[in-house]
Amino acid sequence: MANSNLPRRIIKETQRLLSEPAPGISASPSEDNMRYFNVMILGPTQSPYEGGVFKLELFLPEEYPMAAPKVRFLTKIYHPNIDKLGRICLDILKDKWSPALQIRTVLLSIQALLSAPNPDDPLSENIAKHWKTNEAEAVETAKEWTRLYASGA
Amino acid sequence: MGVNKVTDQGIAVVRSVVGQDFSDMDIIRALHLANNDVSAAINIIFDTPLIRVTPGDGSTGARRRSLDSLTVAASPADHAPVTAGSPTAAESDLPAERNTDSGVAAESSGSKESDWWLVGSAELSGLSTCKGRRIKPGDKVSFSFPLANKVTSPFTATRFPGRGRSVASCSEIVRFSTEDHVEIGRIPNEWARCLLPLVRTKKIKIEGFCKSVPEVLGIMDTIHLSVSVYINSSMIQKHQQTSVRSINISTAESSVHPLPSLFRLLGLTPFRKAEFTPEDLYTRKRPIEFKDRSGVSAAVLPSEKLRKLCVNGSKVEDNKETTSDTDMDSIIGIADSSQLEEMTPPDSLQCELRPYQKQALYWMVQLEKGRRFKEAATTLHPCWSAYHIADRKGFVVYLNAFSGDVTLEFPSTLQMSRGGILADAMGLGKTIMTIALLLAHSGKGGSSSSTSSQDSLDTNEVNDMSDQSPITSNKLTSISGFRKLFKSKASLVGGGNLIVCPMTLLSQWKAELETHTQPGSLTVYVHYGQSRTKDTKFLAQNDVVLTTYGVLASEYAAESTEENGVLYSVRWFRVVLDEAHTVKSSKSQVSMAAASLNADRRWCLTGTPIQNNLEDVYSLLRFLRVEPWGNWGLWYKLIQKPYEEGDERGLKLVQSILRPIMLRRTKSSTDAEGRLSYGVITCNSCCRPILVLPPAQVEVLYCELSAAEKDFYEALFKRSKVKFDMFVEQGRVLHNYASILELLLRLRQCCDHPFLVMSRGDTQEFSDLNKLAKHFLKGGKDGVNGDTCAVPSKAYVKEVVEELRKGEEGECPICLEAYEDAVLTPCAHRLCRECLFASWRSALSGLCPVCRKVINKQDLITAPTDSRFQIDVEKNWVESSKVSVLLQELDKLRSLGAKSIIFSQWTGFLDLLEIPLSRHNFLFVRLDGTLNQQQREKVLDRFTENADILVLLMSLKAGGVGINLTAATNAFLMDPWWNPAVEEQAVMRIHRIGQTKSVAIKRFIVKGTVEERMETVQARKQRMISGALTDHELRTARIEELKMLFT
Repeated sequence: MANSNLPRRIIKETQRLLSEPAPGISASPSEDNMRYFNVMILGPTQSPYEGGVFKLELFLPEEYPMAAPKVRFLTKIYHPNIDKLGRICLDILKDKWSPALQIRTVLLSIQALLSAPNPDDPLSENIAKHWKTNEAEAVETAKEWTRLYASGA
Repeated sequence: MGVNKVTDQGIAVVRSVVGQDFSDMDIIRALHLANNDVSAAINIIFDTPLIRVTPGDGSTGARRRSLDSLTVAASPADHAPVTAGSPTAAESDLPAERNTDSGVAAESSGSKESDWWLVGSAELSGLSTCKGRRIKPGDKVSFSFPLANKVTSPFTATRFPGRGRSVASCSEIVRFSTEDHVEIGRIPNEWARCLLPLVRTKKIKIEGFCKSVPEVLGIMDTIHLSVSVYINSSMIQKHQQTSVRSINISTAESSVHPLPSLFRLLGLTPFRKAEFTPEDLYTRKRPIEFKDRSGVSAAVLPSEKLRKLCVNGSKVEDNKETTSDTDMDSIIGIADSSQLEEMTPPDSLQCELRPYQKQALYWMVQLEKGRRFKEAATTLHPCWSAYHIADRKGFVVYLNAFSGDVTLEFPSTLQMSRGGILADAMGLGKTIMTIALLLAHSGKGGSSSSTSSQDSLDTNEVNDMSDQSPITSNKLTSISGFRKLFKSKASLVGGGNLIVCPMTLLSQWKAELETHTQPGSLTVYVHYGQSRTKDTKFLAQNDVVLTTYGVLASEYAAESTEENGVLYSVRWFRVVLDEAHTVKSSKSQVSMAAASLNADRRWCLTGTPIQNNLEDVYSLLRFLRVEPWGNWGLWYKLIQKPYEEGDERGLKLVQSILRPIMLRRTKSSTDAEGRLSYGVITCNSCCRPILVLPPAQVEVLYCELSAAEKDFYEALFKRSKVKFDMFVEQGRVLHNYASILELLLRLRQCCDHPFLVMSRGDTQEFSDLNKLAKHFLKGGKDGVNGDTCAVPSKAYVKEVVEELRKGEEGECPICLEAYEDAVLTPCAHRLCRECLFASWRSALSGLCPVCRKVINKQDLITAPTDSRFQIDVEKNWVESSKVSVLLQELDKLRSLGAKSIIFSQWTGFLDLLEIPLSRHNFLFVRLDGTLNQQQREKVLDRFTENADILVLLMSLKAGGVGINLTAATNAFLMDPWWNPAVEEQAVMRIHRIGQTKSVAIKRFIVKGTVEERMETVQARKQRMISGALTDHELRTARIEELKMLFT
């Protein structure tokens, strides 16, 4: 395995993720690459994503923790800050990254992003527009997509 | 096996005779019919046309058989009727076939008789594959060898279209026939296997005649043949060029060369046997036999060719000497130095050498000549066996058991690398011996690296040395990062001597070079520090260049990027690694760096060539270019792995590699417990003292814990044991190795002084912490940018300060480890200094990783973690029992004015010891890892020169190597260390040449504690070092060991 020189920090984070997982979040490293995590986030209650199980992939680049992890939704999701490729618009994944953040905090932030979509800083123009013009309808679509794609089946 | 059950073996036997034309089912059916009688079954198959694969073809088994053989001989004498079918086609093919197929034999008989030397004759039992044919005793037989697959397949395909015969299966069958090409039978597989590859490549030829045979042959009858095997002289004379190894590759699965097997089959027994054979290493059944080396005289020839060969060889072992069966218990062994001659050092050496040092000088000079003692040259290389071959010329032939190479030249154990390991025990004066060597051959004026001045070197050898580089490069390029080293050698400047040593020894080397050499005889340059030269020419001009491992490693790293690694632009006349165990980890930068130096002569100086692991030796051999052991794969396969698996042969091989290139004399022999007693220096083999040092007494001072200490220890122990037992229960002992070691660390520290462990729950306040709190709170008032939000709240600051006060560990938010050199940001966040700086893009300022506030470097405050003790140790000072005993001892010595060194592995304990020492009015100095080179020198000078300073506090690691402290006559080892070698290193600082008084070494052990049990572990470790315990054993024993510590 090419994991022999895995930094202590990653090992430690992984251990903690596995031993004390954050509520509604599970992240486990891939067997052949300890820098690649399979992530599942439960849709937060009181959000259009409630009841959905969203799969994500998370990769820790070589420079981690000095560079942000790369995260992407694998499950289709209707969200103004997430595009159809699953890319996420979140400042801490870009310029606001800090090495004091961790995998756990990143995933919690993503979970929070599901609770509080931010159509003013959109990644997906259409969805954002939809959200701004007719939020109720947009939320319905999001619920529909959650049923369709993230119903855990 | 049931009687009626058809066995695989039976099928195989039948198939080997009938060939592949018949399906398994046919054979099984036949075996059934024949009631498992193999020969009957074969007859059934051949005589029953119905079961043949190609029904309708009228030909019978006999013809088929003849087709099976590539030397087809459709003889009219054949009893079996050769019927219509396609006989004409077969016949017409014949001449061509014969020429190609038996081409080997034809050609060999055509070549000059003198080219073929009779190796030997033997009898073998062939197996008849025909029925009814006749052959008379005395009839010559000829052998036919299937061609290599590649060649055969198109042939067979065209000749026997549609047969679908598997060529591979019959490609190993060697058949024989009468002179007129009537196939009679086949020879046993074991013969075929070793003959085939050799005949194919025209290395040997075989002749034979029939010895005894039944009147009328039946299938599977035994035919006794007498065969003579000839070897082609080209194989012997030009063995370097012949591609014996290509055969080896084709038969790679077995990795046993056919020639040695053939020799065995021929009944040749070596009159001198190879010590190491592939069989030994692969079967691991037969213990190595050690042959008496006396009574054998063999031609001694220069071994340049051998040397070259060995560099090429993939499996050849080199540079070893036979070992006697003594010294089996020790990897290192002790060189039999009694017969060493002494060599008078040049006059420019301004000190008297002791006899054993002169011996070492002689030994080193001899090794540098690339040729060792006469006896080494007459020692048979352990991978070679010597045979008398049957040829009338009566030659002695040497056969390599691994490569199958044959030579007439005596394969001795002469060196390829010039240099070796001077592994004399500490204190015997390795430095001075090396200086003598430098003076004897300094390589002065040797602008060309080939040192024509060396009278003893013949041109051949010099050429060899330069030849060596491209070859070595091939090998080394496999190691990444080495490729770059083989930039054109022509660009290298020939230089003098390079001495690489730990930083602590730099000044000592310089001083010794200056005091012991005649002024002007050697120019010395210290290549160290920022201002070191970048001028290759200047560097090369100096006779001696001193540098450190650190500089070496950094120039090595630099060299990979740009052209400023000056050390690598010089082809050194000689490189000496002092304290060479520094390079023991082969993957470390410094080890690679050392191995990559360009040099003609290479030396390792170390008192402990093996510290932890057999692998340590590998690094040294790689540096020394003792080929082929610089090849990790080979080393691992033949030495490391056998050794780890408990196969003694790994160890023996190492011994035999080291024997000729390592000189080791000890001051002492080991006593029954395996612990070194520091006694009179003797040379083990001759029992003549080679250096009489004043006696050294080693004593263990057993201390008892006081009642209070005991309570504390017990409490700590119980807590640790609960944790440990939990790990054991979970089966996670080895996963939690680090935490367990930490538990042990606390216990061990507790044996020194409970203060070392005690840290919490005291009312004493730290003034600096209050200052810190004030600073933060004040910061709130005069916030630079007026941004009040950026200033942490009072409550938060209080919390942080409280945390610090309590000594709570916490972890750095970046590395998630306990803080190391923590800093506080103005926003009151705590981080490791390194982590914080790593997160910044600029060196001077950046964002706080926690709150993203901009901070400047100068605003950072070093967190007060330096105060190790959370209680005021000064005010509350209590002596631990160990400290009390130490003070008693020191008091006794004070009246004598004797100086002492106190070693501990914890600088914290040294801190503590300062208190009682000052209270008892002892003047002391201290040396630990925090001091730089100049400071160290100053400390050591003060200790040596100031008669009032009686005590030197020294951390075990900082003072481990090289430092000469003969001013002291007492050493106190306050706490046992895992590795006795480290302790020994430290103790040897005082017990070495220059010591005029008797020396006392005292080790402290607290009874009934983990320390006592550590002694047992140490003893085990000692045994491992001496080879009695293998790594494998050690690993499995590790858990036991830990359990032992927690009993």
